[in-house]
Amino acid sequence: MESQFDNTDENYWNRSSRAAFSFDDEDDVDLGDAGVRGSSGHASQNSKWDNNSIFNDDTISEASFDNSAALGTLNHLSIKAILSDEALSLVLQEQTLDDHVMPKGVTPEEELKLLRRQIQSTLYSPNLEATAQKLLHGKVAPLEMFKSLLEKRQLLDMVLANGGDAIIGVLLFLKRTLNTTQFHNILQQRPKALEHYLSYLRQSGDVSHYIDILQRFGRHQEAALRQFQAAMTCSELTTRKQQLQRLVDAYASAGVGVISLYEQVFHAALKLQLVKEKEPVTGLAQQIGDEPTPIEFLYVCCTQNKNWKEQDMLKLSSPQRFAADQEISPAQYEWTALNERAHAQAYADLECIFERVSGWNPLKTKQFHISFDLSLAVQRLFELQAPATVLQLFLSKMSNSPEKLALAQRVKCIKAVIDAMVSLKQQQELQQLKETLPERSEEQFYCENALKLLQSKRWTTDNIKLKL
Amino acid sequence: MEVTLEKKLQGFQLVAQEKLQAILCSIPGKKELILEPELIKPLEHVCTASWLKLKGIQRIYKHDAKQRLPRAADLVHIYMIRSLLGPYQTLLRQLQPVATNEPSESTDLALRMFHIICVPNCYAYFHALLEQAGLWGVVQLHHYNWDFIYLDQGVLSLELPNLYEGLYLQGNSSVLPAVATSLRLLQMICGKPTVTITFGNHSAQLLQLMKALGKVPQPQNPPDFGAWLIIDRDKDYTSTLLTPAIYAGLLLEVFQLRAGEIIIDNANNKIRNQKVQLLQGKTSPPPNAVKPSCIRLNSDCDEIYGDNRYKHFAQASSLVRAQVKALGLELQKLNDMQLEEMHDYVARKLPKLTELKAKVLRHLNASEIVIQMLGNFRRLQTLEEDILNNVSRKRLLTEIDELLTTDGQRYNTLRLLCLLHLCAGVAPEELQSFARNYCNMFGHRELCVFQQLAQAGLLPVLVPERKSSAKLLSNLPLPKFQQTEFQANANRLKLLTSCADVEQPACGSSSGHPAIKSCPSFVFNGMYIPLAAQLCSMLLNVNSAEQLAAKLAMIEGLQLHVGAESNTPKAYAAQLKMASTETTDVFPLRLRNLFVFVVGGANYAEIAACDFVAKLTGAKITVASDTLLAGSDLIAAAFNS
Repeated sequence: MESQFDNTDENYWNRSSRAAFSFDDEDDVDLGDAGVRGSSGHASQNSKWDNNSIFNDDTISEASFDNSAALGTLNHLSIKAILSDEALSLVLQEQTLDDHVMPKGVTPEEELKLLRRQIQSTLYSPNLEATAQKLLHGKVAPLEMFKSLLEKRQLLDMVLANGGDAIIGVLLFLKRTLNTTQFHNILQQRPKALEHYLSYLRQSGDVSHYIDILQRFGRHQEAALRQFQAAMTCSELTTRKQQLQRLVDAYASAGVGVISLYEQVFHAALKLQLVKEKEPVTGLAQQIGDEPTPIEFLYVCCTQNKNWKEQDMLKLSSPQRFAADQEISPAQYEWTALNERAHAQAYADLECIFERVSGWNPLKTKQFHISFDLSLAVQRLFELQAPATVLQLFLSKMSNSPEKLALAQRVKCIKAVIDAMVSLKQQQELQQLKETLPERSEEQFYCENALKLLQSKRWTTDNIKLKL
Repeated sequence: MEVTLEKKLQGFQLVAQEKLQAILCSIPGKKELILEPELIKPLEHVCTASWLKLKGIQRIYKHDAKQRLPRAADLVHIYMIRSLLGPYQTLLRQLQPVATNEPSESTDLALRMFHIICVPNCYAYFHALLEQAGLWGVVQLHHYNWDFIYLDQGVLSLELPNLYEGLYLQGNSSVLPAVATSLRLLQMICGKPTVTITFGNHSAQLLQLMKALGKVPQPQNPPDFGAWLIIDRDKDYTSTLLTPAIYAGLLLEVFQLRAGEIIIDNANNKIRNQKVQLLQGKTSPPPNAVKPSCIRLNSDCDEIYGDNRYKHFAQASSLVRAQVKALGLELQKLNDMQLEEMHDYVARKLPKLTELKAKVLRHLNASEIVIQMLGNFRRLQTLEEDILNNVSRKRLLTEIDELLTTDGQRYNTLRLLCLLHLCAGVAPEELQSFARNYCNMFGHRELCVFQQLAQAGLLPVLVPERKSSAKLLSNLPLPKFQQTEFQANANRLKLLTSCADVEQPACGSSSGHPAIKSCPSFVFNGMYIPLAAQLCSMLLNVNSAEQLAAKLAMIEGLQLHVGAESNTPKAYAAQLKMASTETTDVFPLRLRNLFVFVVGGANYAEIAACDFVAKLTGAKITVASDTLLAGSDLIAAAFNS
């Protein structure tokens, strides 16, 4: 039974889609056998199960997984018990799309009446309510007899009141039968109709018309966004660059107000294109795909950067220059570089990344600076299997000793544990720790020194306190 | 024979079969069915392959959007697709050569060789497009709505996954009539409720549509539901955006759901897919040789799920672990047995045990992946709690930004920002700097998402700066004491349970069960009561319309529909006072079954909270929606444009 569960559907579907391509007779899944196999006993089922049960077969379903619980009980439930005949026939009748089929068994007189009414409403005076009702039920309803502008407007307002797909249906009819001015006037006065029309255009993939309508109705920001999106989906790089360039130029000068976020991103996207052109990405291709995000590109820049001490700011693809161009936040820059360098096991470069010359005093030595939580950096370095000395370097920058101790213990950095214990004056714990450490190891020496220091220091600090 | 409510709800399947049969049987000839992949899983809830075979379907194929399936001359092809313009247009393009190659000789409706069944609705303009493609007379259109699919006890779904996107992000109401039709069918089966409460525009519109669709025949049986509650998703985004603490909810956070079934695939789960691969700590995800398995979220098929679905995750996962151990011990017994005993055991008990073991192991595997994926869950929970209670906004913003940098998740990080906007308000400038970092992380092309989410009210609208003098004034930092709409409503309805000034949870106090002190907010670790659950508990606990009116005063957009009339709760209570004695108050509810419908996707936290309220008050609550979603799915909808 278990094997059935596991390969009930996936296998089948893989097969069936294959069958659909090859159309090989042997490969074909012929459901003709399904029923027979299902009832031909369990032995054959198991072997053939994965071949022919898309939906689980009723007979088997009761025994194993599937709709069984529902189906099993439903076998005893008849539809009559839950739905009256009248209701069921109504449901089924409402499902049909076409109403024109004449009901059976009507007298000639009645038929004549029916036909007359139909001709009346199709040829001469359109019946507003009846049409709206038909549309609501999703039936085919001819709209051609709504000729006058008034009738058209009334029809639209009628379907707008109800909502539903009829709105788009009627709008498309209006678009076909009215000139642009009239059609736009109608949209102008009915925001809800406009929303529906826009939604239709968007789904239909008619981007240029969509943008056109957005602009016409004063939604320039959205239009700019859509233009941007259209440019970005362009697979041809030169056209994309051209489109972006045009957008950047037009957006700033259109005089419709500027959202600085949009402006920034448009610029950044264009710049990214230029960098890509000048300094093509090499390596890591399979990990980042064709469309690297700025951070991914930065990562690649980091792998290619050789000199971390003094980055060449004239080179577009040197990490710092790239980060500045793309307005990548310091935290993002540091995090990406940290990951990349740790990955490349170039731990010596880490110091350069987290170094800042203080702005107000350039003479002062460079300082350690980090833009996100230190503990996150330590944890990530630990995950990336950085050596203990690197971990210790970062842990040493933590000021909160209890936290530092906990973290150091978690990442198994003994020296940092010792440091933290020293600052917490946990002499006993240090002693215990020392005993667990391997004889004559570096850590043990370190621990011993720390203990000595703590013992001698204990008095000095207290002395200072007393003096103060 | 009296048919129970549960049976009736399962009976939707019979109606769905009947409807499908009517379409299939109206098409003569040898038929082949070509299904859009997304429809397969839900369709499995309607019928089986052998059933389709009985209705004359010879073969079934998965529809391939890139390639048309060749057709033998004597075969009729029936395509089944979702009613979305994109797939429909693609299909028409595929079929277009047919129109030019083989001009159909017969115009008889019944003899067409191509049919397209649109689920759930064939839109009026689809006919026009068909005509434009030159396929009129060659292709016949149908529509098919399977209505409610019974996923689990108390859980129904329409399986219309694109509803949220269309309705809330694009303002397109095309799908509403189909939903109204399904609700109308529910009315035919379960009778008209005494009172219906709608909260939000779409909900009210649904009710109006139901009326417009026409009267329904009286059901043979007495009504099943005392009240219906229809809620717009945007009235309670919070319960979707918060990370749930219950088992079923967390499963959905991590695994993809398809029609009541989740796929346990560690290499490819929802959380992993949201991250930028390069910045993952470990070099590569453990190459998972294990074939992905499924768990059906149905307590009838999976008793382990049934036992644990609405329990707190920690509790559920430890129960699963205990069960694995117990089963292991049980199987060990085999070693100590006599030969005959063993025979008997193997024949009778073993198959059941192995099946159970396989199920438990699947749950164990799933819960372990959840734990692994959620990482620092406590940190997330504290962050969410602080957001809910609006504790130091600036710090929250930096914290979200830090999360973006160091553990950026395409949807979930954005989800936190949306939550912050709902609870505390995010200023446009703050959004801009976040969006900048976000686009760096996930690519410039995601810029549109912010506009989309603003459309849904989940983020602030960015307004273009105009170079004018009026700017100076607006730049003055004026202290703002404004509450967000969410906060106002949440306070009025007492939804926030973790903030200091709520002395006592609102529920359970008047229900006559003083012993039970807990509260439906357990689904969010005691932070928040989902709106649906709170409204249900109010409906079940009030003794008069006046009492309800007092509780729901000041809540805008909430309407009470009794009979043919629609009123605000206050107006209804006033009307009752004025009226003569013969009009009786509908409260307290005599029929204590409630039906909750969420327009735009329900979530398991809501469902669990409703289940809890039902147990507390001795009522029964059925929750239905167009689909079931986790918070990340809601945000992901904004990316689909």
